[in-house]
Amino acid sequence: MNKLYALLARHNASLYLTMLAVFALMAYINGDKFLSAYNIGSMAYQLPIIGLLSVGMMISMLTGGINLSIIANANLNGIIIWQVLEFLTGPGRMKEAGTTAIVIAILAGFMVSGLVGLINGFLIAVFEIPDILVTLGTMTLIGGLNIVITRGYTITGFPASLNWIGNGQIYSIPVPILLFLLAVIITSVILYRTRFGFSLYMMGANATAARYSGVNLTRVIVAQYILSACFASLTSLVMIGQLNSIKSNYAESYLLVAVLASFLGGVDPLGGFGRIGGVLAATVILQIISSGLNLMRMDPFMITAMWGAIIIIIIFAKALTGVIKRHWQPTSQSGK
Amino acid sequence: MAGNSILKHREAVLAALVVVLALGTSLINPNFLTLENITDLLKANTVSGIFSLGVLMVIVSGGFDVSFTAIAQVTQYAIVLLMLERTEGNIYLAILAAVFFGIVLGLINGAIIHYYNMPAIIVTIATQSLYYGIMYVVTRGRQINDIPSFFWSFSNAKVVEFTSPAGGTYGLSLITALWFILAVILYVFLRHSKLGRSIYAVGGSRISAERIGFNLAHTTLFVYAAMGALAGLAGVVHVSIVQSVIPSSIVGSELQVIAAVVLGGASVTGGKGTVLGAFLGVLLLAILSNSLTLLRISSYYSNVFTGLIILISVTANAIQVQRQRRQRVRVQIDKA
Repeated sequence: MNKLYALLARHNASLYLTMLAVFALMAYINGDKFLSAYNIGSMAYQLPIIGLLSVGMMISMLTGGINLSIIANANLNGIIIWQVLEFLTGPGRMKEAGTTAIVIAILAGFMVSGLVGLINGFLIAVFEIPDILVTLGTMTLIGGLNIVITRGYTITGFPASLNWIGNGQIYSIPVPILLFLLAVIITSVILYRTRFGFSLYMMGANATAARYSGVNLTRVIVAQYILSACFASLTSLVMIGQLNSIKSNYAESYLLVAVLASFLGGVDPLGGFGRIGGVLAATVILQIISSGLNLMRMDPFMITAMWGAIIIIIIFAKALTGVIKRHWQPTSQSGK
Repeated sequence: MAGNSILKHREAVLAALVVVLALGTSLINPNFLTLENITDLLKANTVSGIFSLGVLMVIVSGGFDVSFTAIAQVTQYAIVLLMLERTEGNIYLAILAAVFFGIVLGLINGAIIHYYNMPAIIVTIATQSLYYGIMYVVTRGRQINDIPSFFWSFSNAKVVEFTSPAGGTYGLSLITALWFILAVILYVFLRHSKLGRSIYAVGGSRISAERIGFNLAHTTLFVYAAMGALAGLAGVVHVSIVQSVIPSSIVGSELQVIAAVVLGGASVTGGKGTVLGAFLGVLLLAILSNSLTLLRISSYYSNVFTGLIILISVTANAIQVQRQRRQRVRVQIDKA
């Protein structure tokens, strides 16, 4: 019995069970509308944005930090792509940009977003400023820059081949979901198979111990925030394609959802624990709930209230499982 | 002792910055340093000022709260509805009800944070969306424009009144005086009461505070309840200034208030922060945005400057702390 419990706990079984339960519930309530190809398809297009942001957030939370600037950075990335394309093709002629121009623009976006990550990481690591303050500062600063550059307007007219990343298909599978899965696989390898990933978890569990074991904390934190920023860039690429536009403050409300998904996915907000599979399952759960509620014509603010309620339910549930575990423990020890 | 001198130094620097900014602005636009503009400026920032007192307590205790704007918003809506129902309402009743309601919502935060031992940022993100979402769903986002007249007299009342050459009146508002009085009360409370000292003790080190004999539950619950009470009061002040209830008018400004308090020297790791610092922080951000307007700099830039100031000030503070720590280590080596 205990072995089974351990096995279930290790593989986030409760999350996958929740996922199935939520899916069944929404399918039961909404009937065919929920299981229709249209709904499944639209869920597959929406999932990557929340998913990419959540994984980016998770990376920053593994050391007990938080990256508040991730969405501002994603919007900045879109703005840089727009500026570079305009520069290369001339004002208002962005749509005619060729492949080379698009590749240059995307790379420029990655570089600028990465630079923001570098600044975050540098300030956090070298000056030992709490993550929340640094990223609050960069969030405000970048959000301000985004407004200054766009003058608050929505910018449209991106080239079709760039939009393909967000709205295209390969063998009728949406490109954004493929991009998301690829990013998840690469990140899993980085987190579980490299020295950097190991150091990251070790630092989150105990920073002092990590330092005495020869981990260069500065380098790990800087790399961590650059990696987190890369997810802002990827989110931006998907957003451009899906909305065919950029704006200074798109997706701002997802900041909360990204934190929620990481927390629901089993990431310890104090750092050191959290698997990418859990976060993936959590984003799917959140997407199923939000699509299901949408189909029920639920007020969007009801969904906001729901996110809050879910976090509080998890907190209560965690306390409850703690109580149950304590009652289990004595019998398991006498069994040995 | 060392921590104390850092804070004093910081307050002096902030005060100098406020003076320089004010003088610089008035050189270019002489309208700035008129009594009329300054009293207007203070009145417009009274809501942030009252918030900042609660945020200061929460941050000094080592906690965090992003839900206070939602508490203010929900309380404001509920109180105005209540006052419209009852014909014999007055401002005292409104404030009393708002403070009571705010305490209840704040206590919910404090209870979850303390008894379930959860990171405050996660809990308050959850309650923010829960409170706000429920309010929106219940009220359907309806705006209320016919506010009882006593709210108007409350925000319009002056402690000292002058008549301007143009015929209008200006002077120190009652609500601004209320903010100052609360600040003085908080100053005395934090310095001279046992509960006030316990907030610093708990923020500095929970374990030490508990071993000395402070009751962690009392302190934590008090801090979040007080934050709720001040948020409720700020909600009433806000509606009396704005003269209408717009469900989205307060939520979203929470990080700005937190930034002001942090600018004033409060440490998000807890244990440090002063009322004067928080006051100067609010004043600095207020003067900054006011000067931008008077200097005819586009308001687009306001977030850019706010972000820059946050980053520069937290970095400067961090450098100072690091330097001091290094000196302390050197002294110890010398003695050995």
